[in-house]
Amino acid sequence: MTFGLSKDQIGVTESQIDTFGELIFQLSHNVQDRRGDPVRRKDFTDYERQRAGFGMSDAEIAERIGLSKAQVTAIRNIVERRKVRTTTYYRLNELGGGKRFRADEFVAPEDRPAPSGKALALRTALQFDPDRTRHYVGQCWWGNDTLGGWLQRHAGERPDHEAVAWDGGTLSYAELEKQVATVAAGLRGLGIGSGDVVAVQLPNTADCLVAYLAIAAAGAVMTTIYMPYRTDEIRPLLAHSGARAFVCPPQLDDFSPPQAVLSLKDDLALLEHVITVGGAVDGCIAFDALKSPDGKRTTAVDPPVAADPFLLLYTSGTTASPKGVPLNYHTMLSNARLGAPEHGFTANDRLLSAAPFGHLFGLYSIHLALAVGATMVLLPAFSPPGLVQTLTALKPTGLFAAPAHIAACLGMGLLDDADLSSLKLAILSGAQVPPDLARAFDGMLPNGSVSQLWGMTELQAGTYTRPGDSLDVVAGSAGRASPGAEIRVVDENNTPLPAGEEGELQVRGVHLFSGYFDNPGANAAAFTDDGWFRTGDLAVVDGQGNMTLTGRSKDIINRGGVKFNPLDIERLLDQHPRVAQSAIVPVPDDVLGERACVFVVPGEGDPVTLEELCAYLLENGIAKTKLPERLEFIDAMPLTATRKIIKGRLKPSR
Amino acid sequence: MAQAGASGRRGQSIDPHEAKEAVLGYCLKKGALAAGVADLDAINRIAPPGHRPADLMPRVKSVIALGVGGQTQGAWTVPAKAMAYFGSTETRAYTVAYGLSFFIENRFKARSIYCPPDLDNEEGPRVPLQSLKLHAELAGIGARSLAGDILLHPEFGYMYFASVFTELELPPDEPMQTNPCPAPSCVDLFRKQGQTPCMKFCPAQCLSGDIDEHGQQAAMHYEMSKCAELSEQYEALPRILSAAMAAEDAAAREDVLSDVDNSMFWYKMSVGSGGLLAQCFECMRVCPIATRSPLADPIRRAEAREAAANQDGTA
Ligand code: SF4
Ligand code: SF4
Repeated sequence: MTFGLSKDQIGVTESQIDTFGELIFQLSHNVQDRRGDPVRRKDFTDYERQRAGFGMSDAEIAERIGLSKAQVTAIRNIVERRKVRTTTYYRLNELGGGKRFRADEFVAPEDRPAPSGKALALRTALQFDPDRTRHYVGQCWWGNDTLGGWLQRHAGERPDHEAVAWDGGTLSYAELEKQVATVAAGLRGLGIGSGDVVAVQLPNTADCLVAYLAIAAAGAVMTTIYMPYRTDEIRPLLAHSGARAFVCPPQLDDFSPPQAVLSLKDDLALLEHVITVGGAVDGCIAFDALKSPDGKRTTAVDPPVAADPFLLLYTSGTTASPKGVPLNYHTMLSNARLGAPEHGFTANDRLLSAAPFGHLFGLYSIHLALAVGATMVLLPAFSPPGLVQTLTALKPTGLFAAPAHIAACLGMGLLDDADLSSLKLAILSGAQVPPDLARAFDGMLPNGSVSQLWGMTELQAGTYTRPGDSLDVVAGSAGRASPGAEIRVVDENNTPLPAGEEGELQVRGVHLFSGYFDNPGANAAAFTDDGWFRTGDLAVVDGQGNMTLTGRSKDIINRGGVKFNPLDIERLLDQHPRVAQSAIVPVPDDVLGERACVFVVPGEGDPVTLEELCAYLLENGIAKTKLPERLEFIDAMPLTATRKIIKGRLKPSR
Repeated sequence: MAQAGASGRRGQSIDPHEAKEAVLGYCLKKGALAAGVADLDAINRIAPPGHRPADLMPRVKSVIALGVGGQTQGAWTVPAKAMAYFGSTETRAYTVAYGLSFFIENRFKARSIYCPPDLDNEEGPRVPLQSLKLHAELAGIGARSLAGDILLHPEFGYMYFASVFTELELPPDEPMQTNPCPAPSCVDLFRKQGQTPCMKFCPAQCLSGDIDEHGQQAAMHYEMSKCAELSEQYEALPRILSAAMAAEDAAAREDVLSDVDNSMFWYKMSVGSGGLLAQCFECMRVCPIATRSPLADPIRRAEAREAAANQDGTA
């Protein structure tokens, strides 16, 4: 109705609205234009010239454009109401009291991106028990810790404190925070937003650290790709994670990660960007371009919060069914925040990880350092001389290493004369620690001690020995549960066993993930009805709560901390013409903890050699670290009634 | 001395200058910071038909404009959402104007009205019945700024205006000789960044313009609809209701009607909250004239008054 008249009575049609709507809107008071100051000057001629710019009444517009006043009023009203948005009022809430509106930083509510379907699915996977959640929050175990929040706090409180040190450079906390904010803004500029997955295959460099923290600051989720992984191993991880970007060096030995991933882009609908660190590659974005500040520091639209996922790590799964572990800040950072004082770390510490940041153990060192504002000492890629050189030159106070790392250094005699005086604590983890190795290394630390830690991708630091524990405890166990966590050992009926008895290790607590991503089968098997996580490891817990791993109920090969499920390799081997059937089992090894031994039922032709099998596997994209290192022939596999190989019966001959 | 032609209804002669002095004196005494008389001919040449004083009051002879102080100094320090609730102080201007219309009728026996500040219900939400801004500018108590033509005064900064129409004849004032907007610091910012403070910090980004080589206003562009959309929530009401009616099912309808935003809207409606109508005031919060003119700040005004009183005492 307009003045009591219906649209039909006035004769306003959609075509009229289309024809005149915008013109009427512009001529009306909705849009005003003035040149100079004619009213104040009483320059009526100039004013008349500008009449329309000042905003005309409906009657004037009607006169000007040849419609009736009622038509103009009706059309103006329709156009106004079609244009009005209901959300702009919320700009008000962000203003005043010292805050100014910044057009270059503001994103209107309706324009804020929603997490992608994949990102929401990842979030949905984070479903925790409500009672336990209430308990963890009530105890202040879960708070609002985020990596970005921690970094900003340290940069604000101690901007000049050394955050990162490596052979050739340092970054203060202020510098680190600035680089992280710039790269985070760059990532957002690429459309990487809340819950989007970014895959990273990088050595432990400062750029890797910046990339990790920037991905987190952008609200995105990092998934790590182990350095030895090649195309066939990368592809399923990118596909399952739904990664939108892949960050990598231009070249790794004879493998070009960017070329490999660019060639996969057609298969991976969600993958949009390949970002190269340390060199430009055609078709890729240079990380340095994201790092160079353009003068603006765009704040994240929705800064991440502690309940958000920030890591999606893959543990031993299979190609068809990868086991992705989505991790949020609540679990991981409470584990680090509560763990730092247990390990005795403070802001004055310098933490070095020999373990790659692709593993959660390596990332744990970052989380601990950021929990207290310590310095992160970097060793880009492990080599025994490199580790010893870094220990000597950069004087870390805390070391995170796999027993294989230390065994390699010991084996080469590199630690005999090394200056290890800076080390307060050396945390060994990633594989079972041989007691003699723990004792030997502990004896080499004039001012420190060894600690043993047991962790999993599903929970970060599960148990560890504490500084002050006896050497017997440190050499013989992986210590006690981390704060806010519980462990228990159960029999096959899920009944808790008394101290000293061997059974399956189960875990629950603040650090525990809530389930595998998009893998209901794995989830059904992973948890008990009352929320305990079945680790699949066999263990004994003593009267003091110290846990010792005694074996594994799973088939995972753990070669120097690199754990892999041999199923994919076995499938490949089974396709080899001279292999009828294969099975890979671990064999104990003094240096690496375990190596892979392949049992083969011969196929056609001459018996195949280990070298031939390895060359075949390499050709098929298998990483060197997963190659079998022993070959045994067997006439027939020991099989269950359902024709599954009983691997426990495959014992190498020597 | 009485002047020919200047008379009240009862025929007594009134000196227009004395009457004007009494009228403006009344305004200042009752709390206006500035008052003046607008040139009726000039109004008639600028206001469109239907919006001229005689369209409202056929025998009007004079239009008196008055302005009261904009904000307390404290108001500029509060968050915009709080300002939206208590920012507008225009009712004080209306009170003075209302009183003035009685004053004129009492004192001079000349018919007077307090000019309604409302929108013209035949022209929609953007068009006033009468332009108080035009009256005030022609009465010389404010000049159009680059901030959407908000009137500014070099001494009092940013004021709220009201008008009184009367059949009493009063000699008109002239508009201000110079326009205080843009302030020198605004010209500097404009030269560097292409925006004055009001343009730069407007959350609706509805202001733009140009400054000439002499530092004077060359062009002002204002998208009033964007400003209104931000400030005047009442326009969203039909949208909310039609979204609710168009909702797919009961749950979706409940989402529309009772989501966090709209629950707040119903609350504001039910308590008649100023937050439904008020502006965000960001353009004025950052305007050096609005906030830092010598007497724009009530605290400084009081200090100036006290200093003047002391000086009088000393003399
Ligand atoms: S009141 Fe707010 S939206 Fe309107 S012009 Fe001023 S700053 Fe812009
Ligand atoms: S900030 Fe004030 S003085 Fe400066 S240009 Fe805008 S309205 Fe004019």
